[in-house]
Amino acid sequence: MTKAGDWQSYQRVLLPPVRNLHHLDAYRAQGGYDILRTIFNDWKPEDVTQCVKKSGLRGRGGAGFPTGLKWSFMPPANPAVPRFLCCNADESEPGTFKDRQLMEFNPHLIFEGILIACFAMSMKACYLYVRGEFSSWITLLERELACAYDANLVGTGMLGTNVNMDIILHKGAGAYICGEETSLMESLEGKRAYPRIKPPFPAQQGIWGYPTTINNVETLACVPLILDRGADWFAGVGAQTHPGPILYGISGHVNRPGVYEYPTGMLITDLLEIAGSMRGGKKLKALVPGGASVPVLRADMIEGVTMDVESLRAAGSMMGTAGMLFLDEDTDMVAFLRRVARFYHHESCGQCTPCREGTGWMENLITRIDDGEGNLRDLDLLLDLCDQMEGRTVCALADAAAWPVRNTIKRFRNDFEKRCRPAVWAGVA
Amino acid sequence: MADFIKNPVVDLPDPDPAPHFSEEELVFTANEKAEIARRIAQYPTSDGAVMWTLWLAQDKFGFLPPEVLRLVAQELERPYAQVYGVATFYTQYYKEKKGTHVLDVCTCFSCQFCGGYDILDYLERKLGIKRGQTTPCERFTLQEVECLGACGSAPMLQVSNGPYAHNLTPEKIDVLLATLENGEPLPFVSLTLPQDEDQMQGNRRSDAEAVEAYQVPPVAKLTS
Repeated sequence: MTKAGDWQSYQRVLLPPVRNLHHLDAYRAQGGYDILRTIFNDWKPEDVTQCVKKSGLRGRGGAGFPTGLKWSFMPPANPAVPRFLCCNADESEPGTFKDRQLMEFNPHLIFEGILIACFAMSMKACYLYVRGEFSSWITLLERELACAYDANLVGTGMLGTNVNMDIILHKGAGAYICGEETSLMESLEGKRAYPRIKPPFPAQQGIWGYPTTINNVETLACVPLILDRGADWFAGVGAQTHPGPILYGISGHVNRPGVYEYPTGMLITDLLEIAGSMRGGKKLKALVPGGASVPVLRADMIEGVTMDVESLRAAGSMMGTAGMLFLDEDTDMVAFLRRVARFYHHESCGQCTPCREGTGWMENLITRIDDGEGNLRDLDLLLDLCDQMEGRTVCALADAAAWPVRNTIKRFRNDFEKRCRPAVWAGVA
Repeated sequence: MADFIKNPVVDLPDPDPAPHFSEEELVFTANEKAEIARRIAQYPTSDGAVMWTLWLAQDKFGFLPPEVLRLVAQELERPYAQVYGVATFYTQYYKEKKGTHVLDVCTCFSCQFCGGYDILDYLERKLGIKRGQTTPCERFTLQEVECLGACGSAPMLQVSNGPYAHNLTPEKIDVLLATLENGEPLPFVSLTLPQDEDQMQGNRRSDAEAVEAYQVPPVAKLTS
C-alpha cells in the first residue's frame, strides 16, 4: 500500500465526472454553494481558518506552504482598513497546465473557495489574476462569474445577507514573474511587476499597502471540499504530511499526457503507468516532477519516490506544481538545459543584478556548450555562477534558475562533458 | 562563434518617433470611456486599470506606439512614464505594428521535446519569414514564445493573444493558415481530460465549440 492508499478506486472531487459542471445549474445540482450558505449562516470566520489548518492543506502553487497558517497571518479585522484576497491564476511555470483545466471545467468551485476564504479572513474583495495568454478562459470565467452575480451568490447583499463581496478578474499580459506573490501585487497595482522585498509580508502590507493574502487557484478550489466533507476527510486523502486531492499535469514523451486527478503521495512509477508509460516503448531518462524550477531527477532516482513534499525532498527534488515532464532516453539534456536557461533569461524581470546578468550568462555558457565550443571548465563556472545567484535576489526566480542548472549538470555530467572540448592535458583542465 | 560575442550591443528605442496615428484618431469613444471608468471603479486607485486600459487600447489600435500610451496615461490621469513602463514590461503588449494574425509558437521545454521547434521551422519556411518577423503582406507575424501553459497538448501555438491550437502537425498548420487567410474565426478548443474519456466517454462540456483529446506527442527532431 502506498501513501496514496487505494488510488485505483479514487473518486475525483476537484473535477468530478459530471457533465457541464461549469454551468451554475449543474454545479448547484451537485450541492454546490450549499456549504457557502451554511458557513455564512452558522460559522465563525476563525472556525473556518481552524478547519483549513486542521485539514493540512498545503498551497498548490509551488511552494507548498500550509494554507491555514497563511490565513492566520492576517491581522485582526478592522472595518476601517480594507483587506484583499488575490487568487493566483498566473500559471506560467513550464510543465504546468492544471489550473487552466480547472478554470475551464469547474469555475464555480474556484469562486466558492474564494468566497469562503474571503469570509474566513473578513475580506470584501478578491482579485482573480489570470495570465493574459488565457484570454479564452478569462471569457469563460467572466460568463460564469456573471451567472453567479445574477444568482446573488456574490456581490451586494449576497445570499440574502447584508454581506458584500466582489470577485474581480484581472488580466495579466505575459510575464512569468507575475506568478510570484509580491510581483503579482505590483502588477495588480498597474506597475512593472518587480517583486517586493519581504518583510513586510503581504499579510501586513499587500496591494495598495493593505493586508492581503494570495492563494493559488487549486488551493482555493480545495477549500469548499474541506469545509463540506470535513478536515478529517481531507487529511485522510493521500500522503499524511501533504494531504488532499491534487491535479497532476503530465507531459512529455508519454503515451497519454494530460491532467489527472489523484491523491497526493502517488508513486511516480504508478503515475507513469497511468499516463500510458513511455512513448514507443522507450526507456525513461529524466523526470521534472514539478515544473521548470525544480531539480530534475534521473530515471534511476525515482524508484519508490512518491509525489509529496517529504518524499521528493528526500529524493533530491521538490513538489513544485506537480506538472510532471517525462523525458525518454533520446533526450539531449544539454538542449534541455539550454532551453530552461533561455526561459529564465527571458523571464528575469531585471530588478536584481545577480539574476538579470546571471541568467544571461547562464544561457550564454550553456549555448556555447551546446554549440560544441564549450570547455570543461565552463561546467564548473556554471556551478559557481549558481552559487553566486542563489539567495542573493529579492525573489526566488534566481534560485529557481540556479536549481535546475546545478542539478542537471550534477546528475547528467557525462552528457555535458561529452559536448565540451576535451582538455589539452587530461586531468588538468 | 556564438551570437552573444558577435552582437553584444542592444539597440535603444527612438526617443521621439514619428506618430502612427493622427490627433483625430487618438480618442476613446464614449463606450470605451465608460468601460475604462468601470474598470477604474474596481480598484482603490486608477493604477489598477492601467493593464485593462492598455488591453483595450491594443484591441482598438492594434499596437501601442508612444502616442497611444500618452492617450492611456491621460485617460487614467497617471504619469506617461508609468504607462510606458508597464507597456514595455509585458510581452503581450505590442510596441510595434504586427501582422493581422500573430502566431505565437510555444517552444518551452515540453513543446521543445515534442516538436515545437519543428513547427516553428515549418512555419518559417511556409511563410518565408524568420521568427520575430512579419510577412510583407502584413498578414502574419511569427513569434517564438515562452510556456503558454498547455504542455500536455504540445506542440501548440496561440493566435493573436486569443485561441490556442493544440497537438500541431504540419497538416494542421496548413488548415489553420487557410482558415485565418479566409478570415474565419478559430474555435475555442476544449481538451478532454484522459480520465473523462474513460469515465464520461468524451468531453464534459456540451457547449464546447471544438473538442480535442490529449495525444501522443509526435517524435521530435531537435533544431534550435
